[in-house]
Amino acid sequence: MSPLLEVKGLKVDFHLENRIVHAVEGVDLQVRRNETVVLAGESGSGKTITTLALTRILPAPARIVAGQVLLEGRDMLALEEKKLYSIRGGVIAYIFQEPASFLNPVLTIGEQIVEAVIWHQRLGRQEAQDQGRELLRQVRIAEADRVFNSFPHQLSGGMNQRAFIAMALACKPSLLIADEPTTSLDVTIEAEILKLLTELKEKVGFSLLFITHNLAIARKISQRIYVMYRGRVVENGLTEDIFKDPKHFHTRELIAAYHKIGKL
Amino acid sequence: MKDNPYLFWGLAIILMLSATALFAPLISPFDPSSIDSQGLLMAPCARHPLGTDGLGRDLLSRMIYGARISLSVGIIAVGISILLGLILGSCAGFYGRIADALIMRFADIMLCFPTFFLILAVIAVVEPSIYNIMIVIGLTSWMGPARLIRGEILSLKEREFIQAERALGASDARIIIRHLVPNAVGPVLVNATLGIAGAILLESSLSFLGLGVQPPVPSWGNILIESKSTLGIAWWITVFPGLAILITILGFNFIAEGLKKIIG
Amino acid sequence: MILEAVDISKKFPVEKGMFGPASARTVALDRVNFRLMEFTTLGIVGESGSGKTTLARVLLGLIPADSGTIRFNDAFISDFRKDVQIIFQNPYNSLDPKMRIKDALYEPLIIHSVCPRREMRGKASELLRIVGLDDAAMERYPSQFSGGQRQRICIARALACGPKLLVLDEPISSLDLTIQAKLLDLFVELKEKFRLTYIFISHNLSVIRHIADTVLVMKHGRVVEHAAAHDLFERPAAEYTRQLLEAAR
Repeated sequence: MSPLLEVKGLKVDFHLENRIVHAVEGVDLQVRRNETVVLAGESGSGKTITTLALTRILPAPARIVAGQVLLEGRDMLALEEKKLYSIRGGVIAYIFQEPASFLNPVLTIGEQIVEAVIWHQRLGRQEAQDQGRELLRQVRIAEADRVFNSFPHQLSGGMNQRAFIAMALACKPSLLIADEPTTSLDVTIEAEILKLLTELKEKVGFSLLFITHNLAIARKISQRIYVMYRGRVVENGLTEDIFKDPKHFHTRELIAAYHKIGKL
Repeated sequence: MKDNPYLFWGLAIILMLSATALFAPLISPFDPSSIDSQGLLMAPCARHPLGTDGLGRDLLSRMIYGARISLSVGIIAVGISILLGLILGSCAGFYGRIADALIMRFADIMLCFPTFFLILAVIAVVEPSIYNIMIVIGLTSWMGPARLIRGEILSLKEREFIQAERALGASDARIIIRHLVPNAVGPVLVNATLGIAGAILLESSLSFLGLGVQPPVPSWGNILIESKSTLGIAWWITVFPGLAILITILGFNFIAEGLKKIIG
Repeated sequence: MILEAVDISKKFPVEKGMFGPASARTVALDRVNFRLMEFTTLGIVGESGSGKTTLARVLLGLIPADSGTIRFNDAFISDFRKDVQIIFQNPYNSLDPKMRIKDALYEPLIIHSVCPRREMRGKASELLRIVGLDDAAMERYPSQFSGGQRQRICIARALACGPKLLVLDEPISSLDLTIQAKLLDLFVELKEKFRLTYIFISHNLSVIRHIADTVLVMKHGRVVEHAAAHDLFERPAAEYTRQLLEAAR
């Protein structure tokens, strides 16, 4: 069976005022159905840019200069912009590090979820509201009704992240891309969110592409790891194998840091 | 410079005007108060490129000397207002509470009076000399800069580098002068260049009403007022000083626009 | 003993809209007690809202406590502003963006008249070398450095006036794990070299385990457990400590 997502030779340049920076220099990547893949690396290694390029939502100075992104066989880079609207959120959904800054501060959580449900599932308002509440329960928010009517600033970081995950699920994506979603959270909340994501993945059935600089997380949740360094994938393989026998020096650095302070 | 045409042209205009003002005795073809016996109200010709006024004085020379007055009124008046604004605004922002309440309410009260009438009232009491004009304009226009500075400082003082300075044992004065003001000064600079344009306009208006710089000292404003009686027969006395004011204000506005781009 | 904190309490008013009375107050610190021995590292662990950052700022005198006393031992801390320094969490925010690195390093030298002006450059360059940066950094601005490098500059600045006690408020948690590990080594090295005492605040238990001699576990402004690091990780006494350890595994 062909993989859900296949990236071949992806290159992204940043066109700055006086120079060109090669942010991503030929990345190959595969994500299969119902699999959790970790994209590991330090900040500036190109992990985030790679995932933003998948649905072509890159920031202004960045340009995709080469490569193929095949999603269920369709080449995302060749599709016209209009067709991407339904894929963004609908097939590939994102969650980010600071959920509060990606949520609209003047709308309640409920309004934002309902909007997403209506847009992607074409439901009526009443049905959408019911489904919104159901989604909040699905991400284990105990007081779903209270949270539904709350504004983002009234909720904790962990609660906002849950709400954001609910919103991402509203569109029934096949691939959820999680960009350091737990980095700004407390350890206990981080553990809960990781557990939640793993459970939801089994229950709802999506693939998870998880970006992190912390291999402790990779060890907890992923089947496979891609290690990025300076815009390239320098190593990839099964999580266990990578931990047992890292080949690239940067992978060894990441693992050393993990052994030192990534775990108890 | 190349990618900031506003700043380039603004600076070009203002530097040229400043040079003219500075070297007025060298550049101007005649003494500004000497009377040409050959004719009053001469139209622009080879001998008098911008013509002569109702008393037979060379208009070009008068405008060159007038540039001295207009520019120095603008710059010094704004200098005073910025200095006041800096001191009062940073005290209000930094110390907060009572200092903030007192200073900002006082600013609000000052803002309730239209500046122009405030100046008229003061000029009615003191003698309308060029120095008094500068001081009065300065004293009645510090509120804008003060508000700007206060706002900037309010947000800056919560930043950690200020906390770090405190932990190093830096005094309040040192924190304000070395760290807060340099970081807050950008928007104030933009405001200042616009303020200079405003002050020049204000001086011209005052002179036009006969309350500004007193003849025979030439300023663009009082050249304009003298042209009032001869408007029908000598267009040049109205048009050239008017153009000079327009170009100067344009120049300062260009600089402000350019600075805005640099500051981001 | 270098420092003793007795019954420190602090409450913050909760904003109640424009006209409502600010009667409700959240408790940030509730009768916090501890003693700190010289040349040791006290780790403070807690989740957001536990009051650990407030405690750091109270110790530094950046915000006043409502009640309680902090006693410094004069044998170690004679000039408070010189002997006690702080490193903040966010290195992107802790340096004046308008100041060259050398000027940032001169600041403490000037404030405390550490050395005459002509010796400052040499001193600044030595400080940079100590934290693993070279002279090329001197003329640059903070924006030209990565997070880890900026934090090294902050450390150099804090060391400039020869402090005895460093309060480290989540000094590495906003950085990549690999960078965190390197900075942690630097902290250990500096502690030996300059005979420093640390108060190390972190939410990362393995970091604390790595560096702390004794650990204070905080929750909602209270100290729930205070024990030697080894004991705490092997035999946690409080239920909350067990929860934290469990989550980190």
